[in-house]
Amino acid sequence: METPANRSRISLNPLRPLLRNPVALKELRGRMRGPRAFVVLTCYLIVVGGFTTLLYIAGTAATYSTTGEVDGGTLGRVLFGSVVAIELFLVTFITPAFTAGSISGEHESQTYDLLRTTLLPERQLVFGKLFSALAYVLLLLLAAIPLQSIAFLFGGVDVEEIFISLLVLLATAIFLGNIGVYYSAMTHRTLRANIMTYVTILAVILVTTAGAVIALAIVEGLDPSTSTSGSEWFLLVARGIFVCLNPLTTLLSTQQYLVNQQTLFTFKYTFTDGTTTTLPSPWITFTVFYLALSVVVFFATTRHLKRIEG
Amino acid sequence: MSIDKPEVMETSSSEAVAETPILTEVLPELPTVTDEQDLIIETRGLSKRYGRLQAINNLNLQVPRGAIYGFVGPNGAGKTSTMRILTTLMKPSGGEAYINGYSVISTPREVRRSIGYMPDFFGVYEDMKVWEYLDFFAACYEIPEAQRPGLINDLLELVDLAHRRDDMVDKLSRGMKQRLCLARTLAHDPQVLILDEPASGLDPRARIEIRELLIELAKMGKTIFFSSHILADVNEICTHIGIIEAGQMVAQGPIKAMRQQLIPHRVLIITLLGRMDDAKEALLHVEGVLGIVDLPPEDGKTRIKVEFSGEDLRMSEMLQALTSKGIPVVNFAEESSDLEAVFMKATKGIVS
Repeated sequence: METPANRSRISLNPLRPLLRNPVALKELRGRMRGPRAFVVLTCYLIVVGGFTTLLYIAGTAATYSTTGEVDGGTLGRVLFGSVVAIELFLVTFITPAFTAGSISGEHESQTYDLLRTTLLPERQLVFGKLFSALAYVLLLLLAAIPLQSIAFLFGGVDVEEIFISLLVLLATAIFLGNIGVYYSAMTHRTLRANIMTYVTILAVILVTTAGAVIALAIVEGLDPSTSTSGSEWFLLVARGIFVCLNPLTTLLSTQQYLVNQQTLFTFKYTFTDGTTTTLPSPWITFTVFYLALSVVVFFATTRHLKRIEG
Repeated sequence: MSIDKPEVMETSSSEAVAETPILTEVLPELPTVTDEQDLIIETRGLSKRYGRLQAINNLNLQVPRGAIYGFVGPNGAGKTSTMRILTTLMKPSGGEAYINGYSVISTPREVRRSIGYMPDFFGVYEDMKVWEYLDFFAACYEIPEAQRPGLINDLLELVDLAHRRDDMVDKLSRGMKQRLCLARTLAHDPQVLILDEPASGLDPRARIEIRELLIELAKMGKTIFFSSHILADVNEICTHIGIIEAGQMVAQGPIKAMRQQLIPHRVLIITLLGRMDDAKEALLHVEGVLGIVDLPPEDGKTRIKVEFSGEDLRMSEMLQALTSKGIPVVNFAEESSDLEAVFMKATKGIVS
């Protein structure tokens, strides 16, 4: 029950304006109620923690055998990279599950018509659904930061990398969440929305990974005597696009530039004719691109919901 | 709510309440419509087509402010389609519809502000508490946060669910869910309630409770537009009815006028202990009596059916004519299932 005392306590909450969105408030109440939220978080941490432990054991053994003593930097980077990769994998699967039922679920519980006859704007409905799902994903990501931080014990990883990885993971989650809500709005059945969301995500992963690998192979195999700077630019951009569309390759190449060139925001590319150019680091391109695409998908969803049955 | 607790909504005759068994009811007085021309819901030439099926055909609906309007028709007659258009959920194929003076097509937001809609299913979230459910919808109707706790308590009080405030919605009985849904439609204090089959699937007790609630709300000044295919519901609480069949309005108006218009004859059943011929003779002299038919005797008592036209005064004159001659009348009552007759007469049974 709400009393004046706890009302003033809640108002100190920085999330207060977001919780003015009735859908977000309702969804968060529902999501955090009961053991489910706790169980999911625990399972998530057990999976990430379990893999980290295995990697630690395997990693120490591997670095011992090659150099005779533990190479802290390498072990740190391997541990960090692996934790981020597992998180990425889990986020890719969890986010659609949280969002693909968001609008179709309202149809299934026969509450969609009720919402439509209220004054709730469509964008608030979409935003509320998205926000509540992403808030939980963010909780999962933040909860795993201590596991990422184990890498600090070995060195080889900077604090900036934690932030960049968090940003890339979050941008991934925001995009996937938008895709989930979009399909959920397009179909009235949650199962269909889930299938369509996962198929889309799988297609994006396959296309971007295959594209990045092929473009990389071509760039590596360039013959300085035959290539023109024009064709090399084209390949560079093509490779850049594929690398920056895939969160995993984005993170890997960002880390590569960070380790090799010690730069966080840009990297230098040397053409085969010896000239160099400076380009934005992949994580920036990735984040900007997917956030922009998320905005587009968000408005497409809202637009679709605004339509009145003819 | 416990079943053995005699519970009848507030009515004027408290005496009757004290002695009545559970399901006995005292019908409260219906609200009166002051101005038949002041239409709060109006459609002009409304039509809706699904492919080749004409669901609504040139429908002219007229609901005066303050009425309890029963929208009656067989299943598939176009009741739900009409309601979906009125609640801005669906676009009509043709014609116009206005609620409180606002067009449902060009000013849906104003229309939504004016209506409370209850579909023919519950539409409740399972993972919510009762107060959270109302809080959510109140927020969706832009009720300021500070006003909501008080509002929720008032609404729960009104639908008699205050004691279930902190229970989960899915723990409520069917009747309680229905009352909660009704409370939800009232969150933004709308002027019109549009209710699709509000009594369907409810047990007799819940049905009566909903009915009493609707009358209570009408007394609070709300116009109630509800659909039903159960004539008894309509008969007891409506001030106005509209009969729809195959997408067309076959008859509509104040319920009294409808009865007189469609069934000009009123029917009276009189039970006598004897002297049937004297009784017939006496009745034929009363003005307005159209015909007398013998009915088969029941428990050895003679029964006659009298058809007459006109006001209640005629009935009183008939009774006087009988008693003044000392004819032993033991029962004297008008046949009351006349709404069914209105319905049968108005509809042709095109849709089943």
